Amino acid sequence: MSLRSPLGRVLGQGAARGGVRHWWEQRLTSLALVPLTVWFVVSLLTLPSLGYATLSAWMSQSWTALLLILLVLVSAWHSQLGLRVVVEDYVHDAGARTLTLVLLGFLHVLVATAGVFAVLRVAFGTAA
Amino acid sequence: MAEFRLPANSRPVPGISHPAPPGAREVRTFRIYRFNPDSTENPRIDTFVLEVKATGPMVLDALIQIKSTLDSTLTFRRSCREGICGSCAMNVNGVNRLACTTSMQDLGAGIRIYPLPHMPVVKDLVPDLTNFYAQYAAVKPWLQSRTPPPPDRERLQSKEDQDKIDRPAACILCACCSTACPSYWWNSERFLGPAALLAAYRWIIDSRDEASGERLDELEDPFRLYRCHTIMNCTDVCPKDLNPARAIAEIKKMLLGRQE
Repeated sequence: MSLRSPLGRVLGQGAARGGVRHWWEQRLTSLALVPLTVWFVVSLLTLPSLGYATLSAWMSQSWTALLLILLVLVSAWHSQLGLRVVVEDYVHDAGARTLTLVLLGFLHVLVATAGVFAVLRVAFGTAA
Repeated sequence: MAEFRLPANSRPVPGISHPAPPGAREVRTFRIYRFNPDSTENPRIDTFVLEVKATGPMVLDALIQIKSTLDSTLTFRRSCREGICGSCAMNVNGVNRLACTTSMQDLGAGIRIYPLPHMPVVKDLVPDLTNFYAQYAAVKPWLQSRTPPPPDRERLQSKEDQDKIDRPAACILCACCSTACPSYWWNSERFLGPAALLAAYRWIIDSRDEASGERLDELEDPFRLYRCHTIMNCTDVCPKDLNPARAIAEIKKMLLGRQE
């Protein structure tokens, strides 16, 4: 129990003076994902087959590799921003929240790096 | 974690059924949330049946009739009975509204009445709005100006500038919007909620106010402002047809605009 005043509780530790960047980046990444996703889906649907030979030939084109890397990076960034909000919304225990956010951050860096690495490997034809 | 279920001792159980008045023809059934803080029992849902012809047109008329004829312990807030005091906000058939301006004609023969969602209940339909009012106080809802007022008259404002605050200033603080917002349900300790943010906006855009910068500083926070995920239940339920969602969007635009 606490006898702190209701206003004192609401004012708490003050405003964090942040959140604008997060909010704006979420909008920018979702905007960028519209053309990237449309391009990706249309490309896959118009490929003659989804076999490894066709895909690696497609991915070894410079523009394809470049756009695929962008798609991976922007998706990972957007996903990190979005999942961060979900965790902040629902995980109220401070310790658990920080831990989840740190792990989530690491996971996104891992996924983004693995994605870029995979695209490069296929694009440069070094995959076995 | 956020609480998605009510605690075991807060889950409503079936309550007392009051039968239809003898000889009644067309009737309306009210299922009303009851909670008595003096008892250790769970809240219950009581059933009251009123004859349509013998009841006034609004939900508040029915509540007053139930209180004066069937159960005098039924507790609810009401005052002006014309949608200007904001006292009788409650959840009627799943939507937050003012009982006094909600016509029963549009609601059908079965009407469910609960207190505003996700708030501590004081008794029956009376929610504890302490935190809600503190959030309103936190945005300093008064004029802040360093320029002294003219000695011989009030501060002047152009008609266009008055038009900007005309609607936002019409908020009656009934709490329908904030308590309809899922973000407010999960984070009401840190998210200010649509009502307080609409009040903040009303002062930020007031041409006579000189504290817009400080006001924006105080809102620039991942929780105070940015817990709004544009769900827009607030605008949907506002009994005064105000647009808190738009006010919040404008605040976000202003915060971005002063950085770019």
